[in-house]
Amino acid sequence: METPHYVAARVQRALAEDDRTAELGIRVDVRGEEIYLRGQVSCDERRRQIENVAREAAPGLRVHNEITLVEVQEAGEEEHL
Amino acid sequence: MRELRIAAVADIHLGEDLRGHYRKKIEGIERRADVLLVGGDLTRHGTIAEGRVVAEELSGLPIPVVAVLGNHDYHSDCNQEIIALLRDAGIVVLDDESTVLSIDGVRLGVAGGKGFGGGFAGKCASEFGEPETKAFVRHTKEIAERWRRALKGLDADHRIVLSHYSPVKDTLMGEPPEIYPFLGSYMLAEAADAEGADLIIHGHAHAGTEKGVTPGGIRVRNVALPVIKHAYTVYCLEGDDC
Repeated sequence: METPHYVAARVQRALAEDDRTAELGIRVDVRGEEIYLRGQVSCDERRRQIENVAREAAPGLRVHNEITLVEVQEAGEEEHL
Repeated sequence: MRELRIAAVADIHLGEDLRGHYRKKIEGIERRADVLLVGGDLTRHGTIAEGRVVAEELSGLPIPVVAVLGNHDYHSDCNQEIIALLRDAGIVVLDDESTVLSIDGVRLGVAGGKGFGGGFAGKCASEFGEPETKAFVRHTKEIAERWRRALKGLDADHRIVLSHYSPVKDTLMGEPPEIYPFLGSYMLAEAADAEGADLIIHGHAHAGTEKGVTPGGIRVRNVALPVIKHAYTVYCLEGDDC
């Protein structure tokens, strides 16, 4: 079995370098046969693409897509400097 | 001199799949802010098509928009084309330079650009060894020098530095410390501290925190969208009447 450390590194690179994702901020953890993806993206389509790219980069592993959607609200509170 | 209301955001990462979404969130911004600053990573892949989406989302607002590019906006080697099309859409794009906006007679100076990495004092790369390492560090050094010159010549009532990369570690808290050298450089803060500014705005660190301060005492705000979780945040720079 390939060392989990290198699998995680390969998936993380794929998420950054694959044109379908270009995501640099996704955390990838591999535990045994399971792979966990965590982070935030702004739409469901991006979340799905990240899962697809991770699956291709780590065939045979079970992917847990724990990425959350950023719910962008209209405007934040003011800060007086 | 009246108070200035500065709306700021970064890392909006727009593309075809998000066309129209961001614009809806900033409708009516003129009632809350006098200017919108956008701290880079406007796109995902830095393509011209994505740049056009950004231009559509940010153009025609009733308040001025000032932006810098981020690392994602360089990915397809179309950074200059993106800058040109944003400028054609009426957006002020800073590429290691400055601008002065007059808002009800108050002069707001904004200086900056993308910035770059290298790390923070005591734990940073040096211009030593292989050409690749020297080029990496030199890139940040040259940017910091251009910012210093841009700030020196900036005659304004308030001065803001707009960057993509972070000038301090404070606003990176939450990111893995191992990647800090790829998230910012102390040289950016050093340039601002040398010439003076009221505020530094940046993005890039999606898992970081909002508030920090430079060694010289300039307030730093990380306005990456995943950090502020709002379409923008408003910072008020006090006028004489406050």
